[in-house]
Formats: sequence, C-alpha cells, structure tokens
Amino acid sequence: MGDTRIDNTIRRLRFEHGEMTQQALAEHAGVTRQTINAIELGKYSPSLEVAFRIAAAFGTPLEQVFQYRKGGMKK
Amino acid sequence: MSFREKMAWISFVLLLLLTVAFAISHHFHPHDAQGHDVIDPAHMFFGILLAFVLLQVVLRVIIAIQAPKDARTPKDERERFIELRAARIGFYTLVVAELVAMALFHLHGRAFFLMSSVLLAIFVAWLVKLGTEIVLYRRGA
Repeated sequence: MGDTRIDNTIRRLRFEHGEMTQQALAEHAGVTRQTINAIELGKYSPSLEVAFRIAAAFGTPLEQVFQYRKGGMKK
Repeated sequence: MSFREKMAWISFVLLLLLTVAFAISHHFHPHDAQGHDVIDPAHMFFGILLAFVLLQVVLRVIIAIQAPKDARTPKDERERFIELRAARIGFYTLVVAELVAMALFHLHGRAFFLMSSVLLAIFVAWLVKLGTEIVLYRRGA
C-alpha cells in the first residue's frame, strides 16, 4: 500500500473541532482508531463511503478533507 | 497495537510453536528396544494440535476481556483489505509448498511422508499469511 496520492486535512480539522480525538472520529466514521491514523498519515486511502463519513463528521464537503495530488507520489 | 494485530501475533506465535513441535515430534519421537514408536505419532500430533487450539482460545479470551469494546467491533475496511492481501500471499505460498510436498513424495514414495509434508506446507502457508498481516499492520497500511 505505502503512501498515497491523496492529501488530507484531517489533523487540522480535528484541531478545529475542539481537538477531536482519533477515537471519536473513528466512531463517527465506523472504523478503528488505527485506520484513522493510517488515513491521516497518508498510508491508506479510504473508500468513498468512509471518506464521506469523515467529511460528514466535520460537517464539511469532501474536497475540503481530501485533495488528490496530480504530481508524483508523496516522498 | 490494535486488537486484530494482537490476535494475529497470538496466532502467529502459537502456530510457529505448533510447527516446531510438529517437526520435532516427527523426527525425534521415542522408540522402544524393537524400534517401534512408544507414542503413536498421530496421537502425538493430535495432542499438540489440541494444546494449540486450547491455548489459542484462552489467550484470545484474555485479550477480548481486556478490550471488550474492540472485541465486539467488526473488522473495518482496512483490516479486511489487510486480511485479503495476506490471504493472497498465503495462497501462493500454499500452492508452491504443496507442489514441493508432492515432488518430495515422488522422490521418497512414503504415504506418511506425504501426509507430514502436506501438513507442514499448510502450516508454513498459514504462517506466511499471518506474518504478512503483522507486517501490514506494523507499516500502518
């Protein structure tokens, strides 16, 4: 799997939502805390359904949470 | 460490012990003065297998008691993905190991040898599957 081409702003959004914990976000998204951590670090690309659930947890559009990088892979 | 990773570690370590115990009991089982087996190798193997199953159940129950919420949570998509990737690698390992077992049987021609090598091939393939799961969990994939 390795690093993905998808950037995300989950860490910043969690901070802006009252320091929401990874566990709390995981419960909103219906995944484990380790999966949220892997997504946040760019090591795992979530399915569309989980991506929408994460965006819904923050009450923001999907594209504000995830951005596709057209260039090369993240170093 | 996640609940599923702990489970994978338990299964991996116990299966490794089972494989080693199987190999040792296969090669160093005690004989009487006439050269007959003191303990039937099949009985010895099923004894080891039973111990493996019991230990696995006890350790899993202990881990589940320590983290009941995690134990109740179904696997998420990433965990299923890791399991599928590991199963694919384990499957190819099994195919290669069984072909090796058949080739060895062709050379030695003993039915007991075939049974042992087929079992060993299954153990090795399962170890590879569990090992792959652990590596993927460790990498955060």
